[in-house]
Parts: sequence; C-alpha cells; structure tokens
Amino acid sequence: MTEHLHDVVLPDNITEELLTSQHIDFIKKYGEEQNKFEYGMTDYLRLSGMYWGLTALELMNAGVTDTQDAIVEYIVKCQDPDSGGISACIDHDPHILHTLSGIQILAMFDKLDAIDIEGVVKYVQKLQQFDGSFSGDKWGEVDTRFSFCAVMILSILNRISAIKVQKAVKFVKSCKNFDGGFGSRPLAESHAGLTYCCVGFLSITKRFDVLDIDNLAWWLCERQNPSGGFNGRPEKLPDVCYSWWVLATLAMLGKLTWIDGAKLQTFIFACQDQETGGFSDRPKDVPDPFHTLFAVAALSLLDYENIQKVNPTYCMPQHVIDRLQLDPKILPS
Amino acid sequence: MHGRLKIKTTAQQKAEKELKQSNQLTQYKASMSQILLHRNCDPFDPVSFKICAGLLSTNPDIYTLWNYRKEVILREKHRYEESDPAAKEDGDVDLKAFDGLLEKEISLTEDCLRANPKSYSAWYHRYWVLMLHSQPNWQQEFALCTKYLSVDDRNFHCWDYRRQLVNRIGITLPVEIKFSTERINNNFSNYSSWHYRSTLIQLNEQCIEEELELVKNAVFTDPGDSSAWFYLKWVVTNPALGKETCQELLDTLEQLQELEPDCKWVLLAKGWLMKRLHVKDYAVELYTQLIHLDAMRKGLYRDLLQNCIENS
Ligand SMILES: [Zn+2]
Repeated sequence: MTEHLHDVVLPDNITEELLTSQHIDFIKKYGEEQNKFEYGMTDYLRLSGMYWGLTALELMNAGVTDTQDAIVEYIVKCQDPDSGGISACIDHDPHILHTLSGIQILAMFDKLDAIDIEGVVKYVQKLQQFDGSFSGDKWGEVDTRFSFCAVMILSILNRISAIKVQKAVKFVKSCKNFDGGFGSRPLAESHAGLTYCCVGFLSITKRFDVLDIDNLAWWLCERQNPSGGFNGRPEKLPDVCYSWWVLATLAMLGKLTWIDGAKLQTFIFACQDQETGGFSDRPKDVPDPFHTLFAVAALSLLDYENIQKVNPTYCMPQHVIDRLQLDPKILPS
Repeated sequence: MHGRLKIKTTAQQKAEKELKQSNQLTQYKASMSQILLHRNCDPFDPVSFKICAGLLSTNPDIYTLWNYRKEVILREKHRYEESDPAAKEDGDVDLKAFDGLLEKEISLTEDCLRANPKSYSAWYHRYWVLMLHSQPNWQQEFALCTKYLSVDDRNFHCWDYRRQLVNRIGITLPVEIKFSTERINNNFSNYSSWHYRSTLIQLNEQCIEEELELVKNAVFTDPGDSSAWFYLKWVVTNPALGKETCQELLDTLEQLQELEPDCKWVLLAKGWLMKRLHVKDYAVELYTQLIHLDAMRKGLYRDLLQNCIENS
C-alpha cells in the first residue's frame, strides 16, 4: 500500500505546556518592536487583527482594561456614517468582515452603544441579495463567510429579523456538498473554514435540520492527521488555525469525542514560538495574532487549564455570550 | 501568515533587514496617503492609479485599493458614454477605448494572481471587469483557468472560475463530464476532481453502476488514498444502487482486505455496505478492528458500534 503523507513531522523538543505569559507578551507587543513592519503593512485588516489579539488576551485572562476607551474610539471612527458599515482602519472602506470584528470587540467591552447600531443593521440588511446570500460590501462579492458574518452581527445586536432569514438559510443549504461539507458558494468544494461558517450560521439560525450531521462529522474528523494537526481539505497539510475551524464545528455538532484531543494538543503546543511567544500555522514558522487566537481558542475547547471557556459558534468568551443572552444551537456530546 | 519559515539571522543581517523594512513601510504609507488623497479626482490621477497597481501586485488583499480602481473604471465608463450621447440612446456606444482600459485592468489581475493565486479579491475584480467589457474573451479566460489548474489542481478559486466560464461559453454537460473523467483517470488522488464530478453527476439507476466502476477502479488501484473513498461512500449509500451490486462489491472488498489487511478504508466501506444489506452481527468485529487500526478516531467507532447494537 502506498503511504500518503500530507503531514508535518513534529520537532523533538515540544514544550508540553502553554507558554501563557509569552503569548500575552507577544500580543501586547504586536505593533511595537519586532513586529513593527508586519503591523504597519497590515492596516487593511486592522480591526480583525484587534479582534484576534483582544480575544486571545481575554481567553488567557489578560483582557485589556486601560486601552479600552481608545479602542472604542478608534472603532467609532471606522464606522462610515453613510453606509453604516465599519472599515478595517480609518480612511479604508467598510466591509462586513470588519463590521463583525468591530461588533465583536464592542460586545466584549460591553460598549455596543458607542456606535450607530441602526446604521450597522441597515448596512447588513442592504448586503443581502435576492437569492438570500450576502455580499461582503457594496461591490458584490458573494461568499458563505458573509452569510455567517451577517447573522453573527445581527444576533449580537438582537436584530436578526432585519434580514430574510429563511432565504438566507436556503442559500447556505444550496452550498452543501456530497460529503456533507460546505464551500464558499453553491457547488464549490468543501473546506473546513467555510464549513465552520455555514454550521455556525445554522447554529445561530437554529437550522441543523439542513445538515447531514454524521456524514459531515466523519469528514471533519478525517481532517486529523497522524501528527495530530488538522487540515482544511483532504490531502492538505495541517495548520493550527484548522484546529479551531474543525474542532469548533465538531463542538457545535456534539462530536468532540470523534478526534484525538491529546494528539491535537501536542500539535498545537508544537506551533508555539518559544522565543517570542505567539503561534504559527505550523511548527517553526513565523508566529502571528491570527494563529495565536485560534490555537488558544482550540485549547479552550479541549478544556485546557486556566483558559476561559470559549463559545464555539461565535469564537468569543462564553461569559460575553451569556451576558448578551445568546443561545446558539450546540448539540450535547 | 501561512507557510513562512522562521529564519535565524545574525545581528548584522537583522539590522540590515530592519532598515530595509523601515524604508519599505515608509514607502507603503506614503503610497497609501497619495492614493487616498487623490481617490475622488475626476478625471482620475494617473500617477495614483499606477502606484495603486504596484501596491496590489505585491499585496492583492488591500481591498480598498480594488474599490478605488472600480470607482475609477465606473467614472470612465460614464465619461465614454456621455461623450457619445446619441449612441448611448441606441445602446450602441463604441466602447473600444473603454475596453482598452479594462484590458489593462485584466492584465493587472493576472500579475496579482501570479503572485497570489488564492487572492479572493483579485479573482473577483477580474470577473467584475470582464462583465463590463463589451466583448469579453471568455475563451482566453478558459485557457488561463486550465493553465492555473495545471500548476495547482487543488486551487478552488480556479475550479469555481471554471464553473462560471463553462456556463458562459456554453460547454455542454456531457463534455464537462468527459473532462472530469479524464482528470480523474489522470490522477485518482485529487479530491477536487472528485468533488467537481459530484456536482456534475446526478446519481440515478441509469448512471450509478458506471460511477461505481470508475470509483472502484480508483480505490482498488490505490486503497491508501482517501479521496476516492469519500466518493465511494456517496455512491454506495445512494438507494439507486441495487442490492446485488452492493453484495458483489462487498465480496470484492473482502478480497481486497486479504491483500491490504491494515487499510482502514476497506473496513469502513465494508461497514457502509453491511449496513445497507442489513448484515447481522458484523459490527463488533469490524469496529473493534477499526479502533485498533485508527485509534485517533476511536470515539467515532465506539459511537458507530453503539448505534449498531441499539438498532439490532
Ligand atoms: Zn492557518
């Protein structure tokens, strides 16, 4: 039998614990010192970057307090008064991805009132297309990620009835594939990241009847490679961010027992940078806040000690979801 | 950031890199300010438009820059239309000059895609521009798509684009199914090809035996490869497949198992078939074996075993 290895070999010297204080340091210093260049060149995703960093800190019990006001003020400046949408940074254009990030941060700080909520609702409402799908901004690119963003935003604002939910469900359903997974558009190949978005969408709209749960969960648990890491599609290399996309989806479906949590944990630990803190996509790569959040959030789903409980649908601390009185559908395991 | 290996550097290399990066960052900031300052110029500022193209070629994810370009293009379109109001009324504007602008834009997206073939924004911009063109060359797009698929046959942007083009050019379903068969026979272990096929085939009594033959050929040639097994599951769990055929396949899988006793996929497939055929008392042995062979997913196999016991 031919061996089919699309996997990585883990290094020998893996630290079998979370280097919490280094990771906190890594996030707090991001933008200063060593990562100045990275930070400056990524202004076009600033608000999402802030959401990754701030959520990771909160999950590691190091949520910011002193800079909250400045952050809120910044988000307010990123809201476009005409469309109501929020942009990645000042002078850039509004987009549903950054509108979500802004809302998630404000919800975490309990400062939703700081922005024009009606404006945000109208912005999202206007992005819904005739077939129920959502475009990312006024220029019309459609993707199931944006359907998920739309219902996350509106449910956090308690305004989900502002859109045509049934039509939105119908569109997401039309993106379901032969393997039970979902792609970015109808007939597009299943991808663990987009599957997470679609299952998350159905978790918020409470429409798991759309899913072939067992078939999908099998496809998802087959994403775990011998190294313990998850890939996003068959025969692809593992990547620490899929620890989140796959695990969170399995958590919503109540199937966390279908994978090997201990092996996944080892893989995640192997992706932490012992010198600078932070996590990279794979062992020995350059770390960044994106992979740091999804590594920490995955460890939370694995019940790792001293990390706050994360909500698998929203990727936000559970205590925030409880305060907002949100109850996305999550099946018991 | 994906797939960027961390490299050890000396103090001097580090200082040199920092200087270079600092210059690069200053340059980036200056370019962005220049563009944003001239964003609403009408007629557009060619210098900013050019700087913008340069920035996108190195990073096609700066989405606001694509929006700027779309605004310029729409304003130019308007200008060409206004310059010939009579023709506009007939819906017959000579848009050759405007098409020229669009073609430059199309070649810009090609530069961007060469650097980053997975850029959502660049693919979308390309399509958006083509839709404004008075005579879009879809054949050329199709050729580009084929070229990119030959470089990376798992690039789902390419597959999505191909699907859109097939509809535009009017390629018939049988022709596309033939293309899919060729791709699969060329490389059994490409999951994207199997997925693509699943979107073309509607499983029914007429075609299901043929599909089974194709996928059987793949799994028997290379039982260790996962791709085809997912497709096999789709075929054998469809009610259109007759019981007799299921039984035959089960017998053939028994033979394969003798050759490949450690292949979990063979066991899984036996499980799907035995469930369909209501075989009794197979579950304990099958799932115990799977728990042993594929310990990472033992929780799954325990659940499946439990289901079998409860339903018997
Ligand atoms: Zn990743």
